[in-house]
Amino acid sequence: MKASDLLRFAAGALAGQPKRTSLALLGVTIGVLAVVVLTALGEGARLFVVNQFADLGTNLVIVIPGKTETSGFAPFAGGSAHDLTIADAEVLTDAVPGLDRLAPLAVGNDTVSHGSRSRQVMVMGSTPDFLHVRDLEIASGSFLPPGAMDRGSRVAVLGATVARELFAGDNPLGQVVRVGGWRLRVIGVLGPRGMHMGMDMNEVVIVPVATCMRMFDQSTLFRILLRVRSPQSVEPAAERVLAVLADRHGVEDVTIWTQDAVIESLSSILRALTMALGAIAAISLFVAGLGIMNVMLVAVTERRREIGLMKALGARNRQVRLLFLTEALVMSTGGGILGVIVGWIALLGIRSVFPDFPVVAPAWAVIAAIVTSITVGGVFGYLPARRATRLTPMEALSRR
Amino acid sequence: MNARDSIAWSFRALLAHRLRSSLSVLGIAVGIAAVILLTSIGEGTRLFVMRQFSQFGTNVLTVTPGKTKTTGLPGVLGGTTRKLTIEDAEALAREPGVEHVNPHTYGPARVEAQGRGRDVIVYGATSEMLAVMPFKIRQGTFLPPGDPRRGAAVAVLGPRLKQELFGAENALGSFVRIADARLRVIGVMEPYGKVLGFDLDDAAYIPLSTHMQIFNREALQEINLTFPEASASDVVEQRVRRVLMSRHDGVEDFTVTSQAAMIEIFDSVVTAITLAVAAIAGVSLLVAAIGILTMMWITVGQRTSEIGLLLAMGATPRQIRGLFLLEATSLSLVGGVIGLVAGLGIAATIRAIAPAVSIETPLPFVAVALGSSMVIGLASGVLPARRAAALDPIEALRAE
Repeated sequence: MKASDLLRFAAGALAGQPKRTSLALLGVTIGVLAVVVLTALGEGARLFVVNQFADLGTNLVIVIPGKTETSGFAPFAGGSAHDLTIADAEVLTDAVPGLDRLAPLAVGNDTVSHGSRSRQVMVMGSTPDFLHVRDLEIASGSFLPPGAMDRGSRVAVLGATVARELFAGDNPLGQVVRVGGWRLRVIGVLGPRGMHMGMDMNEVVIVPVATCMRMFDQSTLFRILLRVRSPQSVEPAAERVLAVLADRHGVEDVTIWTQDAVIESLSSILRALTMALGAIAAISLFVAGLGIMNVMLVAVTERRREIGLMKALGARNRQVRLLFLTEALVMSTGGGILGVIVGWIALLGIRSVFPDFPVVAPAWAVIAAIVTSITVGGVFGYLPARRATRLTPMEALSRR
Repeated sequence: MNARDSIAWSFRALLAHRLRSSLSVLGIAVGIAAVILLTSIGEGTRLFVMRQFSQFGTNVLTVTPGKTKTTGLPGVLGGTTRKLTIEDAEALAREPGVEHVNPHTYGPARVEAQGRGRDVIVYGATSEMLAVMPFKIRQGTFLPPGDPRRGAAVAVLGPRLKQELFGAENALGSFVRIADARLRVIGVMEPYGKVLGFDLDDAAYIPLSTHMQIFNREALQEINLTFPEASASDVVEQRVRRVLMSRHDGVEDFTVTSQAAMIEIFDSVVTAITLAVAAIAGVSLLVAAIGILTMMWITVGQRTSEIGLLLAMGATPRQIRGLFLLEATSLSLVGGVIGLVAGLGIAATIRAIAPAVSIETPLPFVAVALGSSMVIGLASGVLPARRAAALDPIEALRAE
């Protein structure tokens, strides 16, 4: 029997019972649909998070003051007995190989006001290089002026929303805003920027780092951000930073985050979650396989005479088995393909509703879903197919 | 035809096709087991998180400096021009309805003794800390009471830190070095364990003002306060807010977080995730239902003559419908019970093998699982039962 004959025979048999065929197929379709859509949502979440981090700029090395040995968390909280200072940042500027840009960062929360309008913002203190490290854009005016890091002038660059809310259409450049008790001259406005990592860059006021530390009476920087030229120089740069700071402070008392490491660990966590979701959804494929097996068992019982006739005409056991196995495989594969198509349409729908959320079914999941549905057909079709071969032609033809 | 007859008839029909019936039952069982297992894991996680949070009591409020609207991490990012002071804490302590007040600061530092050192979180606290936190002292005493502005050069060590620095030796009376300060060890804490990843045993506690000196700090990082269990959290919260605002020129430049509110948020998040995962597992129940539908449909087709006979002998269509509904329902109910037992069994096995995994099956879920398997059977039996009831007795008898 040729493969094409086999397929035609199977398709004919299935088409003869359209209702039960489509019901058995529907089970597989639902299972594959669930796998495709859920893994796509998981993958979308992963890409979303990775993009958010990549948005911070590439090839980034982040220095955080303080270090603890047991907790997995970086020491977000509190400072350290040894401060991370502007002097540290200055030394690092000359000491790190492959360094492209370096920006110290100090952070505080306060109210910024102009006239009667005021707004709660995050105040960030940094240097001109911050613009490049964080890939920010200036909409009007200029960014922080160059000069020695430890000399802070009383100037401020406003985030897009801050400028709009405080000045309501007026030109903020050259005007004075108050932050806490400090008067700062506005020299620039940032271009609008999306939210990321819970930090809204539209709701910030950026001032020189020394000014920020004096305003908030801080002795330590919040972070030092370093951007290196190539991904290859991230590791050596991180090691060098650690060595230089350990030498300056007498002990190793800082934590280094490289962006790749953070993205990598987050990404692998989310990928594992996606796989778990896919696996839970795949339970339904197993159940769908049970349905196919049942339908095939019925088909074998009903087609006793047909099987007997084939055997009487000289069909081998192998051929009969192949015939019924093909039928099961056609059903499960058909259901799988249908599931992928419906899933694809569902994802199109989701994408059109949430254009910002990158829902894409990962290739591995689609392939795994189809392979699983084919396997399901093969595994659950085997028992009924074998049962068909057990009949002797005499029995099959005589009994009814 | 009475109920006994109906049941006997249904079961005979089911037993006549043992393999078929058991496959349908298995489908439901797999689905129910998956749902039970996953919701048990979800519920276990929820209870675990709740326990983690509520061990500090639900009658706790936390005040942090800086007002945050956008980020969920109050006071974590940098400082603010508005400080929380020891005087603020004292004012809160004077307020009626407030039991204990625990002003504190914290920060990572290296604690050294006997040539060994360890990077841990060092807390600056007062004697009140033990009244607010569920920590106990194992050896020696905790920080002495007195004016929080005057701190002695003493330290209390967490058991892990003590073990790492002093081993089995007696640490009381010995000296530890934190940054440049030499502090006498006056106590060792009782082991407490980890809370949400933080190892609370790997810490040192020193007097508030000593801490502020070492870490070069002028303000508190956090004030915890407790109130009597009977008082309403939001009433106390309002009072705290009023007291602090009147001390801060009428500005709300701090954030009050209530433990109860936090617990509520976590509770609803974890519950939502559990329900979502259960729904995904529920897809397999849908597929199993389709399987039952298919099999019942086939059964009706195969038993056309039998139905015709029943009708001819005076059975009403209603009775016929009832027979097939009963058949479908018993299939899925048996599946539900088996799935329930299997799910509970697996959950118990996991608990036995890995006691660290928090897994808990709430009774209502058991009822819901059984109920839903019954509903599934009814729903999937409706179409085939209708088909059977709609048969014309004469046509049906002739079908043979």
